[in-house]
Amino acid sequence: MYRISMFIGLLIPFFALIIQVLVFEVNDPIKYMYTFTGICSIVLVFLTITISMIKKNINLMKYRRMIGLYAFFYAFLHFLVFFVLDAQLDIVFVIEESLDKPFVYLGMIAFLLLLFMAITSTKKLFRKYNKYHAAIYIVGAVITVHFVMAQKSLSQEQWLYLVLIFVIGCFKILQKNKSLNLKMFNNMFNKKNLIKG
Amino acid sequence: MKFIDKTISEKDITSESLFNNRRKFLKLGAASIVASSTVVDLLAKEQLPIPNLNYKKDSNPLDLKLNSFEQITSYNNFYEFTTSKEKVKSMAHTLKPNPWSITIDGLVEKPFQIDVRDLMSKFELEERIYRFRCVEGWSMVVPWVGFELASLIKLARPLSKAKYVRFETLVDEKQFPDQKRGRFGSIPYPYVEGLRMDEAMNPLTLMSVGLYGKTLENQNGAPIRLVVPWKYGFKSIKSIAKITFTEEEPMNTWQNIASKEYGFYANVNPEVDHPRWSQAKERVLGKFFKEKTRMFNGYEKEVAHMYANLDLKKFF
Repeated sequence: MYRISMFIGLLIPFFALIIQVLVFEVNDPIKYMYTFTGICSIVLVFLTITISMIKKNINLMKYRRMIGLYAFFYAFLHFLVFFVLDAQLDIVFVIEESLDKPFVYLGMIAFLLLLFMAITSTKKLFRKYNKYHAAIYIVGAVITVHFVMAQKSLSQEQWLYLVLIFVIGCFKILQKNKSLNLKMFNNMFNKKNLIKG
Repeated sequence: MKFIDKTISEKDITSESLFNNRRKFLKLGAASIVASSTVVDLLAKEQLPIPNLNYKKDSNPLDLKLNSFEQITSYNNFYEFTTSKEKVKSMAHTLKPNPWSITIDGLVEKPFQIDVRDLMSKFELEERIYRFRCVEGWSMVVPWVGFELASLIKLARPLSKAKYVRFETLVDEKQFPDQKRGRFGSIPYPYVEGLRMDEAMNPLTLMSVGLYGKTLENQNGAPIRLVVPWKYGFKSIKSIAKITFTEEEPMNTWQNIASKEYGFYANVNPEVDHPRWSQAKERVLGKFFKEKTRMFNGYEKEVAHMYANLDLKKFF
């Protein structure tokens, strides 16, 4: 039940976007779709990261895959805006821009990593590839830079998002260090015991 | 010399503000006759403002398709309010464009200050339908109303040493909320722009005071702004408070913020990309499909000769 409502809930932004663009008419539709799908994707990427981070306290792991796939879905729409509306299906243009401009290739790298994770998210493939899904942290870092580069100058709200992302990043690093230290400590302890024994 | 007429007491004298208001009152009367319901209805139907300027119409020889008044006044870069183009309109009411004094100084025979309305009365206003291309990749077609910057320059009588014209937007925290934020503002203030003297004297360069026949909306840079149609929109500085004639090339705001991305010239050029995005095409407001961007925004014939010896890739 939760799963179905979440599935529908995560589609709401998509329909909201379609209604905005087609019914209410926005001034700069391509730009609007870019921003909208980009923000949806960023929020969902950091949501999946947060879910893995807090799994010991609040376990939402069973929703992580769906949210991750939605992050990819909005990233895919974002890519479609680039390919269909911005580049007007000009593949040469897409490749040239992707190779030439850091802003574009950062977005492209993140998109390809998300694509890889989406493909290997089935039960069978995930068993084999789950260790590579740590790429989500690369995606998180890269899209943050991409997001900043999309602005001419950062607004207060945008600074707030960045602080939030920074806090999530710090937590994650702390957590990682803690578990590493714990592991090292345990190893040492075990070795000592071995020598003694 | 002072004349004192004992038969007139202080209270009989019409106050200056009332005296000035009589013009408004007369105009109102005239407007009420002209604005017979049919005209107003027609304007409302087309979502056009009620005109309040007298000007010579542009015959629109290029047959450009105008963007709507709604579009032109609802999507604006005006960082003194906010970096959000959609939010400027609702915030712009804090700007008070009347009265509005402009200072003209620097290398001129005699620096002076003048109110915008007095300045406007010195020139014949004309409509100019121009393409407007933002460096961000969107564009629109706007029926500006104004006078040529060249006529203002003739009025200012610059010295022969003057090689550039420098413009400044008003600084006033009470009117521009982003200016209150000091170091945390989105850009440094005042906003500064500049033109080379020949660019400033080019007959295309306009001092705009209105659009669609009506005095400028605040969000479009009331009461007076620059319009340089062959350059990216950020050159067309809004709500001008000061014009200075200089010998040195002025450091314009965006060049100051990011000189690798924005230059002094900022001529529209589909062949020179912004480091982050292509400039080959543009998104005309309200359209789903992009259009090819034209060299000098389509004004090559009128302006290309000024840059004959300039490396446009280097001086972007």
